[in-house]
Formats: sequence, structure tokens, C-alpha cells
Amino acid sequence: MRTKFIGAILLCVSPAFAQQQKENPLDAIRAALANRDFDHAVELTRAALRMSPNNARLWTFQGLAFAGEGDNSNALVSFKYALKIDPDNVGALAGAAQSAYATNKSAEAVPLLNRLLRLRPDEPTAHAMLAVLEYRLGNCGAATAHFEKAGEVLRSQFDGLNAFGMCLVKLKKLDQAESVFGQALRLRPEDRRERHLLASLEIMTRKPQNALATLKPLVDDADPSADTLQLASAAYEDLGDTPKAVETLRQALLRDPLNVSLYLDFANISFSHESFQVGIDVINEGLRLQPKSADLYLARGVLYVQLAQYDKAEADFEKAQELDPAQSLGAAAEGLAAVEENDLDHALATVQAKLKQNPNDPMLLYLQARVLTEKGADSGTPEFQLAFESAERAIKLRPTLAAAREVLAKLDMETGQYKEAADQCRKALASDPQDQTALYRLIQALRKMGDKEEIPALLKRLASLREEATKEEREKYRYRLIEEGEPAKP
Amino acid sequence: MSETNAKSVCAPRFLTVATTPVKHAKDMKLSKVVPPMKYTRRAFVLYGMGAAACWSARRLAAQGVATHRAKPLARPAPSGRPFNAQFADVAADAGLQDPVIYGGVESKKYILEATGCGCAFLDFDNDGWMDIFLLSGTRLEGSPPGTTNRLYKNNRDGTFSDVTGKAGLHREGWACGVCIGDYNNDGFDDIFCTYFGQNVLYRNNGDGTFTDVTKSAGLLNDQPRWGAGCSFLDYNRDGHLDLFVSNYVRFSFEHAPVPGENINCNWKGIPVECGPRGLPMGRHSLYRNNSDGTFTDVSHQAGIAKSETYGMTVVGADFDEDGWPDIYVASDSTPSLLFMNNHDGTFREEGVVRGVALSDDGMEQAGMGVGVGDYDLDGHLDLFKTHFADDANGLYRNDGKGYFDDMTRSSRVGVETRYVCWGAGITDLDNDGYPDLFMVTGNVYPEVERKLPHYANKTPRAVFRNLGNRTFEELVEVAGPGVAAPHCSRGCAFGDFDNDGDVDILIVNLNEPPSLLRNDVSEKGNWIKVRLEGVKSNRTAIGARILVHYGAGTQAQAVVSQSSFYSCNDPRLHFGLGASTAVDIDVYWPSGLHEVFKRISANQLVTLREGVGRVKNRGWSKA
Repeated sequence: MRTKFIGAILLCVSPAFAQQQKENPLDAIRAALANRDFDHAVELTRAALRMSPNNARLWTFQGLAFAGEGDNSNALVSFKYALKIDPDNVGALAGAAQSAYATNKSAEAVPLLNRLLRLRPDEPTAHAMLAVLEYRLGNCGAATAHFEKAGEVLRSQFDGLNAFGMCLVKLKKLDQAESVFGQALRLRPEDRRERHLLASLEIMTRKPQNALATLKPLVDDADPSADTLQLASAAYEDLGDTPKAVETLRQALLRDPLNVSLYLDFANISFSHESFQVGIDVINEGLRLQPKSADLYLARGVLYVQLAQYDKAEADFEKAQELDPAQSLGAAAEGLAAVEENDLDHALATVQAKLKQNPNDPMLLYLQARVLTEKGADSGTPEFQLAFESAERAIKLRPTLAAAREVLAKLDMETGQYKEAADQCRKALASDPQDQTALYRLIQALRKMGDKEEIPALLKRLASLREEATKEEREKYRYRLIEEGEPAKP
Repeated sequence: MSETNAKSVCAPRFLTVATTPVKHAKDMKLSKVVPPMKYTRRAFVLYGMGAAACWSARRLAAQGVATHRAKPLARPAPSGRPFNAQFADVAADAGLQDPVIYGGVESKKYILEATGCGCAFLDFDNDGWMDIFLLSGTRLEGSPPGTTNRLYKNNRDGTFSDVTGKAGLHREGWACGVCIGDYNNDGFDDIFCTYFGQNVLYRNNGDGTFTDVTKSAGLLNDQPRWGAGCSFLDYNRDGHLDLFVSNYVRFSFEHAPVPGENINCNWKGIPVECGPRGLPMGRHSLYRNNSDGTFTDVSHQAGIAKSETYGMTVVGADFDEDGWPDIYVASDSTPSLLFMNNHDGTFREEGVVRGVALSDDGMEQAGMGVGVGDYDLDGHLDLFKTHFADDANGLYRNDGKGYFDDMTRSSRVGVETRYVCWGAGITDLDNDGYPDLFMVTGNVYPEVERKLPHYANKTPRAVFRNLGNRTFEELVEVAGPGVAAPHCSRGCAFGDFDNDGDVDILIVNLNEPPSLLRNDVSEKGNWIKVRLEGVKSNRTAIGARILVHYGAGTQAQAVVSQSSFYSCNDPRLHFGLGASTAVDIDVYWPSGLHEVFKRISANQLVTLREGVGRVKNRGWSKA
């Protein structure tokens, strides 16, 4: 990207042009630049500037010369002099932006590029640079707009494509991201990590068959890595081929038996297929090798809950928290286990005890709101108020906590705050467009508000979500995992 | 957890990536943003937690019935008020001693054995005393001797005589629902029974006998179907009763999976009979009465056939008070349906937007039974729908335009989630003027209690006493031994079999004799019963809506031919009045006629004939 941009600026100093204009002092500088004799060009500009210190073009040439030497700091100084004299000097602007970009001075580069784009709105390199800078600042919305205007400049830029793709993922434009990462992979087909990334995206966009095709070169390798096999297993599972998913994950475990995440994936498949005991057995094996893994205890606890073995679940959640006190998940899970056992008082006590230690944990605050709501706190009571405040705080601490928004929407509905409820539902849907609860509550809130215009479309969307979910479920539960020796049918 | 959007418990596994905020450029490095192992692990934990606590909105189908769950609300302190109704099971003394055979006792192989059947109070001989019709199933290995549906004639002395054979009603098979109505307007109530296989229409001959007219009425199926709920209703207001039938699942023994065979055949990890999930849904049917003793299937042209659910109990009533009957179908593990009458022979299904299809969090529930009544005395018909264990039953308040609010939480009905609930009603059990709720319960998986004792097969009934402030208080033992006794019950019907001015309850218990709960109300409140006779409207006046105005408010009731679970109540509408000694009555007849009756004294049965006014009661006094 850098070369192209510099090249664009230097178009006006091509050798032919320099040859023709050699008598003029500026022409000598142009010629030196065109011949990439940057040291000489620097000398010539210094001499010329002593004679004409307010000549913006000379400062620009000097900047170009420094940049050609790779001295971006001095180049930036020279370009800035040029811009003081002639603020709209396109060459100086481009050079300054390039130098600031190259020296990671994003704060300086962004306004320079914006000024340049005001003068040259279609300048693809400027768009590309600005896109990357915006991306580095985490402004994916702005970055994406510029990436899209960068056009051909981006096509050969692996890092740029990566940045573009990442932004698209963040903006949930997964299909477009998949295409961009595909382009990046074509630039570096040997890049294993890039291949994993594309496969992940293909699974996210529900194209497990494509993911398997992407992973094929790695899977066909004589010794595929556990990571590759793990991803392939996920694709097989999403494809509905559970036997292949299990077999592939088993191969991954053979290659990397200490990898906790592989046991968790196995438990995940067991969970999905209601084969809870098989999941527990696999986790037990993982715990034999990784006895200090809080995650494994946590996962086993979740599986015990499914089998209504609450004592064992609670013991596992306690152990998980003992092993990893920093994470609140164990505490939350313990509370959830109590909820599952219909012991809401215990659940609330557990969550509130953990909240004393971590008063600003949004998950625990959400749980407190949820349990109080489940207990049926009536509007106007202190419990209701606490539930409301807890949900609000949880959202404030983590605006993406859609579940807390759902609680808040429910409480708003109960107090007749339909507009507020609708707002929360819309925000929850922004986080998870497949959230049936938020969608249903939005329909009810709009109905209450008498705002019926949008309802037919929302009803269709809800019906479609339900249909999709039913279809998914049908596919998902085709298999049940059994351990060798266990009869297929009871 | 703190780095994760908790909503991802509901999201597909990989969505976590897409929803993880990226705040800094360094975060965009591949290894940090998309470590497949990492998010897979995290998603599992969240996903598992979500399911563990029913935390998420995501629908799981990891069992045969809807997995929607609700936590029991905290129980408020007892009100301390005496409950003036006491229920004792007098079935044995009344002569109801034959068991209702229905599938296996210790375990069930197929869902067909589990859903059970309904019952009816009807006055088949027009003597003014409620007779009893009890449906029956059979067994996979064949019916034990004596298995049949049974008709019991009321002997007017607290006992009944089995007149099944004499009436010509002996029948074996998998009966499900019953609805009563005078489809030929000849002055005698007829019986329609749904079956797995072939439904049956019995015409009442008026001489104590019935004739199976299914074939001549044009109601034969071309292939076996699983008829479930049914209701007579006059959807086109031509004065002749039409017929709606819900169909549960498309079932055949040849293709049905067996316990444990797939994921829909497990419950809490225990292999159980499969379904309804995993089985094809039933298509519901509407039959138009041709006014000549025959019916025509108009399901498609009426817009009924396009909504497929696991349909169960059917209630036909005018919910939006436009004078035309609507149809509510409680549906198992699928959205319940509310068909709104378009006044032109067609219906539009609007259950979701009207708030009676799904739980308050938008999830499907295992809808079984439906009570219909007016619990808050605002003059509009509310609904009470029963659900599966670990979920609350739903109480829906009607705004008078057919839009409903889910009042399960605020009414405190949600304190109870332990039982699989079936037959139900909204009726004033203690005559205090405030309609109460009643429900019967019983598991569908008898084998589960051996591993999980807290999911017992036989469980008690429950009364939710109306406290008069739009909240209820659950009563079990204090409502009498008939309520507290555990049974595996299904249908129940409400009626006054001993004509003593209260509401008694007939209950189907699977593989046991039925229960007949005699209500003995102490410190009697006042009451009134209203019997309607249609003239321009269908003779049974099904679809009529009555408003009774008294001290506590205005109570709406409707004449329906099925409610509770697959059952039919006493057609004489009962209103407890508390201290009120007189009432005003509005009658909205199905024909559109509106009649008002002023200052009717309490504590009597009033028979009102359309366009005529008060007429002499049939029966009533024991003399």
C-alpha cells in the first residue's frame, strides 16, 4: 500500500519528465527523485530551500526524498512545512499522511487523510490507509466504509484484507467477511491460521460443507493438528454428521490429550445429544490428566445438573471456583444449579454472597435481577426495585448483556412502561437477532402501545425463527452418543 | 464469563465471536479474536448453563415435550381465610367403580397410552339431573374385560346406574375427547367422541338410546387419525351446530419410535415414550353442519387446515365479543391457536399477537387443558391453560377485544410448577362470588418416579381460591380429601350432580375408577344457575355469552361444548354470588339477539328460552 501511494505521488517526477526539465533547479531535484537518488535529492532540496524557504513544492520534494530514504520522521517534518505554506498541497498531504501512517502516528495521519480525501474523494490508497487507521482505533464502521472504497488497492494487501474481514465480523456482516477472508487466503494459501479463520467463519455462516473444503488441505496432511481436527469436528457436527464429528474429535484428543478444550467440545456434543453421562465420562478422563482445570469441573457440573444430580453439580461448581476464583462463572453456575433445583432462595443467597465479593460483576447482577424476577417480585416492592436496579446496572456495566435487557423489558412490561420495554427488546435483538423472547415481547409491547404497523412483519419473523429452530433441532438431535458396549436402545 | 455476552447462551455456538466487542486494534489479531477452541469451550459452558437453568430463550427439543420451564413463584403467607368448599370423593358410593382403562400402568411404550381422555356431565334424558359420560382407552395387549366408555344415569339420590349397554354406547378403543351438543336441534343432547382411529358421532334418539351416525353424517375418515379435542359451535350462525376437531399427532404403531430410541424419547435422561415432538403434527378439522344431519369438511376453505399443531382441548367462544364464535386450541409443545371468526365462514389465526399462543417469554408450552371464565369480574372471558411439570399454568386476562395479558405471575398462579396438569376450570367453588381455579394432575411417565421420586405418577388436585383482588391462593389439603388425594388424572368436568346449588367435579383417573368430588359448601354464599334454550340459535345455545351483574361485579360465562381437558361441563352455567340476593342478566344469543333479565332472585335455576324469556325448569327438585 505504501509503495503504491508513494508511487502515485511521484508520478509527476518520472525520469522522462526530469530529463525534459533538467535546466530548472526544481528539475534537478525531480530527476534525482525519479532516479531514486534520494540522498542527492535531499542535498539539492536543502540548497534550494536556503534560497527559497517558502517554496512549498521544495519542502514536498524534500519530504519525498526523506521518505525515499526511509526517514519518515524527517519526511513528516518536511511535509508539514510544505503544508504550512500551502495547506491544500495534495502531494504534501499525501506524503505527510503516508509518513504519519508509517510511523504509527495515527492521530496525525487520520486528519491528514481526511483532508486529502476532501480534495481527492476517490483516492483509493488514502481510503485504504484511513481504513486501516480507523480499524486500529477500533472504529470498524468507519473503517469498513473506507475499505470498500479502497477497491483494487486492497486486493493484494493481506493485512488490509485481514483488517477488513475482522471489521466485517465485528459488524456481523459474516457473509461479506467470509468473502474477504477467502481473498486473503488466496494470497497466502499456506497460512494455516488464515485457513482456520475462514473455516470458522464458514461454520458461523452455517456452511459447514465449505468449512470442510477449506480445511481439507490441513486435514489431509499426514499429521493434522489437533486444532484443525477440532474445527473439522465442529463442521461435521453442524453438518449433522455426529459420528464423524466424534471420530474427528477423538483423533484430536489422541494428538493432544492435555488439551482441555477438546474434552469440553466432546462434552458439548454429548450435551447437545442429551448423552449427559457420556459427557461426564469424557470429562472425567480429562480431569485425570488435567486435575486443576476449573473449566472441566464447571462443564461436568453443568452435565450433572441435566441429570438432576444437584449435589454433585454444586460440588463441581465450588471446585471450579476454588481453582479459579477470578472468574465468576462458577459462582453463577452454582446459583443456576439452585435455580434448576427450584430453590430460588438458595439461588439468591448464593448470588448475593458472590456479589459481596464482586459487586460490579454484570453477570452476577443480572442473575440477581433474574432470580428476583423469577421469585415473582411485585411491582412497587423493594425486591422489584432491586431487580430493576440490578438489571440496569448489569446493562450499564455491559451493554451487550442481552439477557439483562430481557429482564428489564419484562419488568418494564409489568409496570406498563411499554416504550421502554420495546427499546430494550430492540437492543437485545441487535445483540442476537434470533432472540425469540425479545421478539415476542417487542410484539406485545407494540400491541400495548397501539403501534400495530410493525407487528405483521415481526410475527412473520417470529414464525420464521421458530421454523428455523425446529428444523435445526430436528437435525441436531438425530444422534445420541453411547459408549462402546452400551446397547443402542434401552 | 465477565468477557462474554450472556445472551450467547441462547445463540449458536460460533455467534460468540461475532458479538465479542473488539475495542483495540491489537484485539484484531487472529489469535485473539478467533481462537476456535476457546470460544467453543466457552459456548458450551454458557449453553449448558442456559439449559441447566432454563435461562435462555433458546428452545431446546431435547425431550418429547416442550422444554419451557418456569420457576415457582415465592408463595405468599397464607391468607388465613376459611375456604367454605370441601370436596370428598364419593365415586365409589355413587356407583362409579369401574376403572378407566388407559395404556400401561407401570410404564408407557407409546404416547397414545399417556394422554388419556375426558368425561362429560350431560342430561341425556332431559330429566334435569346431570348424567355422566366417561371415556375409556384400551391397552396395547388388548382391552381387559368390561373396558368401554360408560354412560351413567343419575338416580337423583346421589348414585348412578350404568346404562352403557342399554344406551348402545359400548365401545372399546383409544377414546380421547368428548363434546356434547344437540347437532340436529331435536331437543336431545348428542355426543361426539374423538378417537385415535375414527371419531364417533352418537345421535341421541330421545328414548335413552343412541345411534352411531358417524358414517351417515359424513364424518368417516379416509384414514386413521388421532382426534383429540372437539367442540360443537355454530361458526356461521345458521342455527345449526358445526364441529371443530383438533388432531394431536399423526401416529401409527408401525412407525412410532419406542422409549429411548431418539432424543424425543427421553425425559431428564430417562427413556420414556416418545413425543409429541418428533412426530408429525395433526391437522385440525372444521365440519360444517349441512342442516340435514350431515357435515361437510370445510377445513381448507375456512382457513383452519393451514395451522398444524399438536392440538388438544378445543374451546369455542366469542372472545372478542363481536357476536361470532372464535376457537381456541390448546396445543402441546407448539403454539396454541386462536382462530378469530371473520364472519364470512373463514377464520384467521392470531394466537401469538393476541397473547395466548406462547409463554410470556415467547416460548412454546405443553398446552393441555383450558378453563374459560371471568376470574376478575370485568365481564370478559378469560382463559386458564394447563401445562407440563416444571412449568406454570397460564392465566390470561381478556381485555374484551380478544387480546389477552398473561397474568400468571401477578395472579400468583405461578406458585405451582410441580405437576403435569390437565383438566381445569374457572368456576366459583365456594359461592363467594369470585370464580376460583381448579386443576387435576398426573404424570405421563409412570416409570420416572422410580428414578426421580419427586416426579410422582399420581399427584394431587389443586384449588386456586380467588382472593377477590385478582390473586389466587393455592389450596390442596384444606379443600378436602378429594382434592388432596393423589391420582393420575386427565379430564375433569364441572357440574352440580346433586342439584344442591354448588359445583361438583367429575375426574378421569387413568387405570383407576373415576373420582366424583362432591362439593359441600358450608356457610353458603348465594348462587344462581342459568340454563339456556336456543330457538333461532342452536337449541343447546352453544356460543351464548351471559353477563351476570351482582354486588362483586359483572361475571361473564359462555356456553361451550368442551373445555377443561377433552371434557364437557354441566350446561347450566353456575354463578356464585356471595352476599348478593338478586342479579341482572344479559344474554347474548348466538343468533345475535341480546336479552336482559332484571332482578332475578338468587339460589335458583333459571331456564331462559331465546326470545321467550323464563320458562319452567326441567327437573331440579328432588321431589
